[in-house]
Amino acid sequence: MSRRKLRETAAGYLFLLPTLLVIGTFLLVPIVYALFLSFHKVQLLGGISYRFIDIGNYTRMIDDDRVWIALYNTFEYALIVVPLQTALAILLAAVLNSKLRGRNAFRVLYFLPTVTSSAVLTLIFMWIFKTDGLLNDLLGFFGFPAFNWLGDPKVALKAIMLMNVWSTAPYFMVIYLAALQDIPDSLYEAAEIDGARTLRKFWSITLPLLKPVTFFVVTMGIIGTFQLFDQAYIFSNGSGGPNNSTLTVVLLIYQYAFKNLDMGYAASLAVMLAAVIMLITVIQRRLFGEEKLN
Amino acid sequence: MKRKGFTFLAVMLALMLIIAGCGAKSDNNSSSSSGNTSSSSGGSSSSSSSSSGGSNSSGSEQVEITLNGWGASPEEEELLQQTLDEFMKKYPNIKVKYEVISEQYMDVIKTRLIGGQAGDVFYLDSSEAEALFAQNVLEPLNGYITDEFDIGDIEEPLLNAFKGEDGNYYGFPKDSSTLVLFYNKKHFEEAGLSGPPTTWEELREYSKILTKDGRYGLGVAPELARQMFMIEAYGGKVVDEDGKAAFATPEALQGLQLVIDQHLIDKTSVQPTEVGSGWGGEMFGQEKVSMVLEGNWAIPYLNNTFPDLEYGTAEVPTVNGKKVTMAYTVAYVMNKQSKHKEEAWKLIEFLTGKEGMKIWTSKGLALPTRKSVAAELGYDKDEYRAAIVAGSSYAIPWQVGKYGPIIMNNFNNQFISAFLGEQTLENAMKAAVETANKEIEAMQ
Repeated sequence: MSRRKLRETAAGYLFLLPTLLVIGTFLLVPIVYALFLSFHKVQLLGGISYRFIDIGNYTRMIDDDRVWIALYNTFEYALIVVPLQTALAILLAAVLNSKLRGRNAFRVLYFLPTVTSSAVLTLIFMWIFKTDGLLNDLLGFFGFPAFNWLGDPKVALKAIMLMNVWSTAPYFMVIYLAALQDIPDSLYEAAEIDGARTLRKFWSITLPLLKPVTFFVVTMGIIGTFQLFDQAYIFSNGSGGPNNSTLTVVLLIYQYAFKNLDMGYAASLAVMLAAVIMLITVIQRRLFGEEKLN
Repeated sequence: MKRKGFTFLAVMLALMLIIAGCGAKSDNNSSSSSGNTSSSSGGSSSSSSSSSGGSNSSGSEQVEITLNGWGASPEEEELLQQTLDEFMKKYPNIKVKYEVISEQYMDVIKTRLIGGQAGDVFYLDSSEAEALFAQNVLEPLNGYITDEFDIGDIEEPLLNAFKGEDGNYYGFPKDSSTLVLFYNKKHFEEAGLSGPPTTWEELREYSKILTKDGRYGLGVAPELARQMFMIEAYGGKVVDEDGKAAFATPEALQGLQLVIDQHLIDKTSVQPTEVGSGWGGEMFGQEKVSMVLEGNWAIPYLNNTFPDLEYGTAEVPTVNGKKVTMAYTVAYVMNKQSKHKEEAWKLIEFLTGKEGMKIWTSKGLALPTRKSVAAELGYDKDEYRAAIVAGSSYAIPWQVGKYGPIIMNNFNNQFISAFLGEQTLENAMKAAVETANKEIEAMQ
């Protein structure tokens, strides 16, 4: 009996093996290895060697101004982009969920930016952002001052924000759209009988029922914004400039890992970033959860 | 239930062991291969002995070596291919595979060096040279040099850029360029100026006259590679003997202040992004600026992209009464892990030797580093290139020590902010020096 059970278990794990191998190789081992690296000084060029330096890499962060600049930039970026793209996504979804003419065409049109590769998008936007580019022409047309979007540290990050809101909002819009289909019509009908108008219905029915989805969207949004890399990289040609204004945490990790070849420190920065994201998600869960109780 | 958990743990542990085993295996490989390289570098004496009889042994075996470089204009790549074809004709047993790394060249080449995937021979910019020498990944070339190679023919400052602290040559310069002043002849005529400025004071006066109708006098590249000579003009230094940043001294600031003042007070200079251009040559070609400091690379670009532009070149105006300019150079270096060192040296010898360099520099897309080749091709009398050649005798090589990338990154970041008027130059440079030195200390 117990032998049969053992065989059964073995067979079960045999079926699991491919997945375990894949997850193990590409998820578990890298995580463990990153943790291992983060406590070491790693020499890569000319003979690989590791030296255990305890929490040296972590204490080094405190003194590293560029870490704080990167964190500040990333927080600023998340704080502006996440609410904006979430609001825009709800708005677009609500509009496209109503019985508009040609809404399928609009859905496709709005979703296109998300499908496009972000590298290509960034290159195109850099043309738009040039001093004599489209955006400045448009601003000038409405009587606003022109900016040096690519060269002025004060606005360079804003330019990336603008670009990212535009390209990620539609992705979350699709998620909201799917959730909107799930809200039963009867609720709206009941509200209508009670004399609710469109705005009231949106505020009192749509939004509360979308709350679980909003939690998901905000969480994914925060993770996405904290991992901002490709746009900042292409925008500044890998330097994080002008004057560190587009330096994000992931770009900093890249610079330490591949420009300075300081893998240990880079790994410790990656661990720090993961911890920060986890912390924020936990806090956020608390906030959403508490509201549910009321 | 408990037991299931245990089995799971056992399976995971076994998995880890397998993977760890793989890792260990590859470690063994790498250590054995490094053993190989050390033995072969010990055998460099034997290789130099075989170099005399190299042509005999070479006939038998076909060997492929890889050359890594960064991308360039189609004309340049064609010319390089032509040079390589000539090499393969001379050594029919060696096949050269030219592999372009088009973006972030140094990041990629360093990563490939770690992974053992770098080419046998590759480009190395002078600014990155010292950092790489210290890492023990390049083959010292002293053992290969023959009398025929005639090392004395190469311009000395350029040669020394690739000489390590141990006295070994790790590479030989393939070409070089100094900075010169490009000026728009039409703008100068309209403004009633007879010729290019010869002092920096004149340059600023001229810029004031030339700035009008949305056009600016001078185009500036606010980065260390282009501004280093301004630091040294008044006796400042970019780095001290230990390779640490030292560019916040009053002498260093004095030169840089001239650049800042012209942008913020005179308002007669701009950087490319301010006028919607990508780089100096482009804004000069688009006639958004009347003067710009660029090198030989801008000449083919301007002639191709803006054929109607009437421009001239002149030596960089004197700063503080001194002739100053920058020299940029790139070398061919050999990968220490290369399996075909003899053939790799043959390639370097040919490309940086008289024969190969003559083909490579024949069209003026690049300028020779050998005096004999320069004299033969007559670039010292060329309309546009005479000033570039003249500058090479007093130019400062573009090199900033072992910690080049850190120094450069911090300087560029802070200098831009001073250039835009966000903070004073002194504060910016002090912050840059402090951050750079902190980073250098943390690295050790």
